[in-house]
Amino acid sequence: MKISCVIPAYNESKNIIKVIDKVLPLVDEIIIIDDCSLDNTYELAKTMNVVALRHPINRGQGAALQTGDEYALSHGADIIVHFDGDDQFKAEEIKTLITPIINGEADAVFGSRFLGSANFPYIKRAIIMPLARLVNRFFGIKLSDPQSGFRALNRQTLEKIKIENRGMAHCSEILYKTYKTQARIVEVPITVTYHEFGQSFGGGFKIIKDLIIHNFIK
Amino acid sequence: MISLQQLLALLVIGFFIYRLFKQRNKKQVGGNEFVLWLSFWIVSALAILFLKKLDYLAASLGFSASGINILFYGAILILFYFIFKLRLRIAKLDRDLTDLTREVTLLKK
Repeated sequence: MKISCVIPAYNESKNIIKVIDKVLPLVDEIIIIDDCSLDNTYELAKTMNVVALRHPINRGQGAALQTGDEYALSHGADIIVHFDGDDQFKAEEIKTLITPIINGEADAVFGSRFLGSANFPYIKRAIIMPLARLVNRFFGIKLSDPQSGFRALNRQTLEKIKIENRGMAHCSEILYKTYKTQARIVEVPITVTYHEFGQSFGGGFKIIKDLIIHNFIK
Repeated sequence: MISLQQLLALLVIGFFIYRLFKQRNKKQVGGNEFVLWLSFWIVSALAILFLKKLDYLAASLGFSASGINILFYGAILILFYFIFKLRLRIAKLDRDLTDLTREVTLLKK
């Protein structure tokens, strides 16, 4: 069973080597998608034992994930893990995510910061997350973490999903589309260490706007 | 008898119709777009010519505003619609650009 880890990266020269070193022993293949970084993220990734791809123009995290997914699927991946390049997730928790899929208990596993321990900034915990959860409920999604970027999906499920929101709205989009595939979904606790604030309050509204706009495009 | 304001408005509309025909001759606008804009300017010119009738129409529809105000309301609504259409078009182009970027990235590998 081939396990591929897709890691989008933008200006992550400080973290990328560290992240690769931690993830590499746990998976069969790492696919780094440099989203046209302004620093030497891509050059650093190329020196490692990973597949390094580079977008010629910056397209956003959702777009980078889809590029990585397409590469992974066309190169025989059975389980695809989405991981962040900023060293906020714990690599050892990849095992927690892929185990239910390996055991045949789930088709998609989403990491939840609410089931685990995460030092959420106050505004994120008190306003952004409840709001995002409310928006997800509107789409029929009842998971505890509405915006988790740490997830694992099996090949059959991912083949039915195309990420079209290139910005941060892709998290909700992946959840929604996974639900639509009727996949067996499991949520597992994950640990997140915030280095920066991450999603801003305005960013939360941008996600809602992007989700609405993309529903109108044919 | 038309007022000076109406005359000025008609001149402006005449200028835009003239430009529209020029663009049509240079093949800068498509057939459908040409018909759409020409209809829009003709309706605008008629609305200005029969402004008094618009007052009656507005009153009969239960609006307290005068005909010219109704025209402004309508114009704002149309503008909002065009902005929305434009936003969708940009979003579609944006998506196409992302697909193209992905294809180039994967082809290079």
